[in-house]
Amino acid sequence: MLMTGAQYIESLRKMKTRVYMFGEEVENWVDHPIIRPSINCVAMTYELAQDPEYADLMTAKSNLTGETVNRFTHLHQSTDDLRKKVKMLRLLGQKTASCFQRCVGMDAFNAVFSTTYETDKKYGTNYHENFKNFLKMVQEKDYVVDGAMTDPKGDRGVAPHQQKDPDLFVHIVERRDDGIVVSGAKAHQTGTINSHWHIIMPTQAMKEEDKDYAVSFACPTDAEGMYMIYGRQSCDTRKLEEGADVDLGNPKFGGQEALVVFDNVFIPNEYIFQAGEYDFAGMMVERFAGYHRQSYGGCKVGVGDVLIGAAALAADYNGAQKASHIKDKLIEMTHLNETLYCCGIACSAEGQATQAGNYQIDLLLANVCKQNVTRFPYEIVRLAEDIAGGLMVTMPAESDFKSDLKVGKNGETIGEICNKYFAAAPTCTTEERMRILRFIENICLGSSAVGYRTESLHGAGSPQAQRIMIARQGNIAGKKELAKAIVGIK
Amino acid sequence: MKCGVRFCGGCNPRFNRRAVLEEIERRFEDIDFVIAVEGVPHDLLLVIGGCTNCCASYEQFDTKQGVLKIWDQDHIDSICDELKKKKNS
Repeated sequence: MLMTGAQYIESLRKMKTRVYMFGEEVENWVDHPIIRPSINCVAMTYELAQDPEYADLMTAKSNLTGETVNRFTHLHQSTDDLRKKVKMLRLLGQKTASCFQRCVGMDAFNAVFSTTYETDKKYGTNYHENFKNFLKMVQEKDYVVDGAMTDPKGDRGVAPHQQKDPDLFVHIVERRDDGIVVSGAKAHQTGTINSHWHIIMPTQAMKEEDKDYAVSFACPTDAEGMYMIYGRQSCDTRKLEEGADVDLGNPKFGGQEALVVFDNVFIPNEYIFQAGEYDFAGMMVERFAGYHRQSYGGCKVGVGDVLIGAAALAADYNGAQKASHIKDKLIEMTHLNETLYCCGIACSAEGQATQAGNYQIDLLLANVCKQNVTRFPYEIVRLAEDIAGGLMVTMPAESDFKSDLKVGKNGETIGEICNKYFAAAPTCTTEERMRILRFIENICLGSSAVGYRTESLHGAGSPQAQRIMIARQGNIAGKKELAKAIVGIK
Repeated sequence: MKCGVRFCGGCNPRFNRRAVLEEIERRFEDIDFVIAVEGVPHDLLLVIGGCTNCCASYEQFDTKQGVLKIWDQDHIDSICDELKKKKNS
């Protein structure tokens, strides 16, 4: 049953999720001004699924139940599904200009589905059935699920079992007849607080000595012993200011990250998808990372679409829209943005079926996609700042523009002075100009830069992680043979 | 005549798909344009795609007189000609 956006928000109020921010517990986190924009983003994934203009991308037919489900809970059944996923993410980026957080769950579903199938085949475990039952529940309830992979990792130079503090990687601390007890934490978790459930996955390939760290399971977000410490963002306290609607840049939407702590959390057997099968930890990581690197070829492109539009509006408002270099910069931004999209579509079109029957992306092309995402948004941002001009970072506050304080010799107020000196082309009001410049500021270096810049760099794996995968898949030896054959070297 | 409408998902449309539907509706006030629903019979299906790929799924819908597809706003006249033929057939 598909939920509406309002139903989703109400469903969060029923949860007992523990959230901490600025050293204190947040009781009503659903309405907290710093958190709410990220909840609005996830609500959009529900809203668009109800809209006939977007339903073809936003919904799919479940292979498990035959029912129509939100695509964010779907297992890809074809390359067409893979392409539609990228298109859906682009659409959501366009509608929110933010990270809408629900893709990690979808990527986890598809990675865990195929990995558990192959694990069961080797070890005779029951993880695949566990996972299918879990996913049926998620689809039926239309839940948001956070796919959590990244451990804090501590000293990067040593293996999980060699860490001074074993909790620096999520691990099994006790095995019982009815389940396991886990401890540790997951860092940088996007959308964790807004999620109904979590799927936990290992953070890297594991060896036998680390088998207690090769663990995957599902648990409700308000499980006993689980809590979140909110990650702060650039300019985040603007959201606490009265009357700062313009200064927020994006007053409605935003992203969210947090540290998720597991303080001896009990996981019943039916929600366990890996518990010591260390030789499948790497497979789960690689598949999740592949899907997630594909995702960035959609979501960041959607945000890029909005930023290009904002830059074009800033040029209009500055009266500079006819300048050839402005037109050329907008073309360059579009070229870079669509190149990212090409990669997202290409790795989807070249996807193939797993043993379990769902589809996975082409790993080489997905890693090339994400490698480009670590670079191009930075250039798009540079061009947007170039077009916008310095005013986006030197402009007075919204409260100055609205101030009645008389400061001029003729009794002019601060507001009148600001509106006089920051007026631009007659096609816009001063406030409209402020709004679009603050919006660009928000994406380029404000709270949304977390999602558009640094998340583009490090999310779904830092650049070096993709280069390792590109090296593995690049077949340099085969390319040498091509050259030898043409020039006649035996 | 009842014409089911199916939009593509609208990830990067090159034109305003809703406006195109409104223009077609304006020209055919005697045709009942409704959002296509599975399990409900439609006389005709109109698929509106935002780009040349026109990737909307529509096989799940019942139609008696087939499917018309539009993926460019310049196609409005030709689609309307087709609609007229279907209506009069």
